[in-house]
Amino acid sequence: MSKTVNSLNLILVTGRTILQGTKVEEKLTKHYEEYAAIVRMHPRDLAKLGLKSGDHVKVIGPGGEVIVKAQRGADVPEGIAFIPLGPWAECVVEPKTDSTGMPGFKGIPVKVVKTGEPITSLSKIYGYNGYPILNLGVSLDIEAKGEIKRYTDVVCPFCGSLCDSLIVNVYGNRIVKVVNACPLGMSKIMGIYENRVLEPRIRVNGELVKVALEEAIDRAAEILVNAKYPVLYGWASTSVETIRLGLELAEIVGGVFDHTATFCHGPTALGFHEIGMPKSTLGQIKNRADVIVYWGSNVTEAHPMHPSRYSFTSIGRFRKGRKDRKLIVIDVRKTGAARNADMFIQAEPGKDFELLVALRLLVQGKELEAPVIAGVPREKVVELAEILMSAKFGVMFVGVGLTMSGAKEKNFEELFRLLHDLNTISKWVVIPMRGHFNVTGADLVTIWITGYPYAVDFSRRYPRYQPGITSTADIFLREEADALLNIASDPLAHFPKKVAEKMLKVPIITIDPKWSLTAAFSEVVIPSAFVGIECPGTAYRMDDVPIRLKKIVEPPPGVLCDEEIVRMLLEKVKEKLGVKK
Amino acid sequence: MTQLLIKNGFVIDPLNNIHGEVVDIGVKDGKIVPPDDVDLRYAKVIDASGKLVVPGGVDVHTHVAGPKVSVGRLLMPNDHYKKGGRVVAIPGIKRSGTGIAVPSVTTIGYKYARMGWTMVMEAASPPLYTRHTHHELDDTPIVDKGVNLLLDSNWFILEYIEQKAQERVNAFIAWILEATKSYAVKLVDPGSAEAWSLGVATKPLDVDEVIPGTSVTPKDILVALANAVRDLKIPHPIHVHANMLGIPGNYVSTINTIKAVADIVNQRGLSIHLAHIQFNAYKGDSYATMTSGAEELAKLINTLTGVTFDMGQVVFMPTVTMTADAPWEYVLYHITKWKWAAGDVENETASGVVPYTFRRHIYTNVIQWGIGLELALLVKDASKVVISTDHPNAGPFTRYPQIIAWLMSKKARENEMKKLNKRALKRLALPAIDREYTFEEFVLTTRVAPAKIIGVEKFKGHLGVGADADIAIYDIDPRTYDPSRDYKKLVKAIKYAAYTIKGGEIVVKDGKIVKTIYGRTFYTKTRTDPKIMHEVLEDIKSKFNEWYTITFNNYTILEQELHKPYAITPV
Repeated sequence: MSKTVNSLNLILVTGRTILQGTKVEEKLTKHYEEYAAIVRMHPRDLAKLGLKSGDHVKVIGPGGEVIVKAQRGADVPEGIAFIPLGPWAECVVEPKTDSTGMPGFKGIPVKVVKTGEPITSLSKIYGYNGYPILNLGVSLDIEAKGEIKRYTDVVCPFCGSLCDSLIVNVYGNRIVKVVNACPLGMSKIMGIYENRVLEPRIRVNGELVKVALEEAIDRAAEILVNAKYPVLYGWASTSVETIRLGLELAEIVGGVFDHTATFCHGPTALGFHEIGMPKSTLGQIKNRADVIVYWGSNVTEAHPMHPSRYSFTSIGRFRKGRKDRKLIVIDVRKTGAARNADMFIQAEPGKDFELLVALRLLVQGKELEAPVIAGVPREKVVELAEILMSAKFGVMFVGVGLTMSGAKEKNFEELFRLLHDLNTISKWVVIPMRGHFNVTGADLVTIWITGYPYAVDFSRRYPRYQPGITSTADIFLREEADALLNIASDPLAHFPKKVAEKMLKVPIITIDPKWSLTAAFSEVVIPSAFVGIECPGTAYRMDDVPIRLKKIVEPPPGVLCDEEIVRMLLEKVKEKLGVKK
Repeated sequence: MTQLLIKNGFVIDPLNNIHGEVVDIGVKDGKIVPPDDVDLRYAKVIDASGKLVVPGGVDVHTHVAGPKVSVGRLLMPNDHYKKGGRVVAIPGIKRSGTGIAVPSVTTIGYKYARMGWTMVMEAASPPLYTRHTHHELDDTPIVDKGVNLLLDSNWFILEYIEQKAQERVNAFIAWILEATKSYAVKLVDPGSAEAWSLGVATKPLDVDEVIPGTSVTPKDILVALANAVRDLKIPHPIHVHANMLGIPGNYVSTINTIKAVADIVNQRGLSIHLAHIQFNAYKGDSYATMTSGAEELAKLINTLTGVTFDMGQVVFMPTVTMTADAPWEYVLYHITKWKWAAGDVENETASGVVPYTFRRHIYTNVIQWGIGLELALLVKDASKVVISTDHPNAGPFTRYPQIIAWLMSKKARENEMKKLNKRALKRLALPAIDREYTFEEFVLTTRVAPAKIIGVEKFKGHLGVGADADIAIYDIDPRTYDPSRDYKKLVKAIKYAAYTIKGGEIVVKDGKIVKTIYGRTFYTKTRTDPKIMHEVLEDIKSKFNEWYTITFNNYTILEQELHKPYAITPV
């Protein structure tokens, strides 16, 4: 064995894992730490540091440092460190957004140092120095008794795939069985009884005390009315009906309306502004696609049902399953789908733009001079280009691997240009892999009401839009906002720590069904019911197809739907501002 | 409910034989009532002396809501930064908005209302996405609305046509109109979406060509859908964006399209509505030699009673083209070489969006400008003509006042022509046309004709007792004012109506929005043979899971999903 070193310079990639995804709504549990406070490295990198799987390491990045557990990751190539999404990853990522609104989550240079210190606790991350973070989440104990009901065609409110053929069995008001769902959807639907918030609370002398809903709404309205530049953030995990009201609220209080697209496919929209893309619904893929490319998307962990419902293993009218299709995976690490692929291209992190330019050259009939492009040998790139050009109906599913790293929105400009070029030879479409179940809806409502997709500023009473200036991360980095309304999201856990630190300085209003990290630091906490499980509403799938979500069970007593809460808040704000009806 | 009395206005209401006289109009509970029924103690009296009082405008073809409009918005952030489209919110009175060529929903509603328009029909919505279209329409303030549903490349319909099962086509259309809460049957370049999805549509299809992957021709689709509209007694005739749109020489295809369905007349005497006919009236074999086919088309339309059209009039400014005619947008992208977006919809249709600027010095653009006006002026009966820009394809709807001025004033046309490409003007018949529209013809082309085509003339497009109280009052007096000389005043008067009344509420005063209300969404509920309907539903269900990616039950849009649905049942 060769000599070990004390520190190693690696490239950081963050992303979703299936285990972290199932516990994403229960961040204050020990399980979450187990799944999220880890760094996965190639065995050779571990050996260089003289580490075993399970040893603690300190990861130092542009955003700060954090101590996590090292794990052996066979899928992670040498030279790369992978940390799942969550507070630990946020400690090290790059908070600056390069004027895109998107912080650097992938392809970030970090230093990994061996350490004997314990894993950084959540309370340390959020400046509590050892005191445990307040956790008022409770488990609901609803007895499975009474009428037995079976709901079919239930739409799963987890990811942008919006699978709509779930079957849910209910005894009385208790969900007892979910069929046709993936682990992520299953754990969300079955897990609605865990970690719930049941009473509205407001902060009095530093303590969160129980109050009546009207009082909490009144306090929230007061915060928004008194704020000069509030940010209204979240929205991607709630219904279109709620988002509409949220936009009206933002307009009336003169705030900024931003949703989670700012962190997932915001750069896709920025690329779209410049070039435009050919897209299609998922059914076209199911019925016709013979070449399927996943680029920077870990489909098996982030959208487990996507392949069988819409993509390479789906059975459509003209294409029957896996044998009729070619699967190509382009990623920085060997993801689940990559093991299954006909061709796997392992690109260097942050070098996607280079690869896209090379492909464009080839599609335009030009030669490549460089022997290696983005870490891929020239011959392999040529082979890839030939497969792309010979497709009858090709599709590129692009994930946040492309939006978060390297050239960010420029990746998309180049990708869309490649698609334009490919369409002169064969037929190609592109579909972004959207994360939250209604982030597409949040995009679209914002587009049709304001003309812009996200990060819309109403401070002048009409919509303005400039990602990098009017996007949440940048506003907080500049310390301009003076209040935060957080709905159906957990920004403290998912913004870079440097941004989260600034958020902690302003009053936060949280509207969420579950107790979250953000709730623990809020001025006002208003519990809400789950859209798609306890409330009806509409959501848009990743291909912009709108689907009506169902109500399956009654919400806990006294807990209202997002739509009603936001409507009450809007009325209250109007009342305080003296707006006539 | 508000009561109004509009006194001493100069009223033009052709459907009630009022061709310009001073009549008082009463409004109560959102409807028009005899003036004596208005209780003056509670009523607001509007003094309209010296003003023109007409029914609220109706737009038969405009792209204002739905997926491709939002794609257009996303493609054009530069359009929203501009000052002209910006609406500043006044809490309690109006919402904010942006955009000129592809405005946000609020701006659309307000700008229509400010011009005195009170009803708009979304021109094309893919069935799978119609829930989205309804979301946008529900958020569009003031105007009433309806959806034209894209049905020409639907797999089920193509299959039933191949089986020559007309009654199945009928049942399917009855089902899908109700399932998607849509109003009328729209065909866009019939069959082209199917060819486009196969990736073989390098050139647009002609009427008699066999659609790749099937055994039917666009003509078969036209005939089958026209028959279905007649059999189901759907008020609106088939709404057709004809084949070969935008291609020089296409006026022949348009004539063939009209002839294919001219004798399939619905119970209201109409057989086909041709959308934005300007784009389908080109002669010549290339863009360099393109000339107007307006004369030939006008000649044919003058001989047929059941054929109507809207102009698709070009105005010179940057805009965004958007249509379900995906192959054409792809051609256009290669002409413009800038931005292009496309969207395929499984089993149903496809679409494309390309920004485009119509320029005064470009030969082809000037020919296009001339064709729209020539058609409107050469067709003798103005009740076959509807003013439109195919918003936003040939320009935004906010330019209607300018188009009306061109139609009503030869001087306005001549002044515009001074700025245009001379070579193109030499090839147009327009400079030699002296006709000027009268005020009554203005009312016919913007109110009466569209209301009749849509089939809502019982309660829209006139001011008789019982009609919806949708009224526009313009600050011009036809008795003393000559639009052919001072056309600029006309443009201003129509752009900023003195009053717009929608459903009995004053929404615009002196060109400014004073109140935000929301209109209804019309949809068609037809009846058909229950036995065949059952058969067809069974057939749909058996294929749905394989063809679609959502379930049959989740496909149907429930009435409660719409804010103000209003079913029209044909009798």
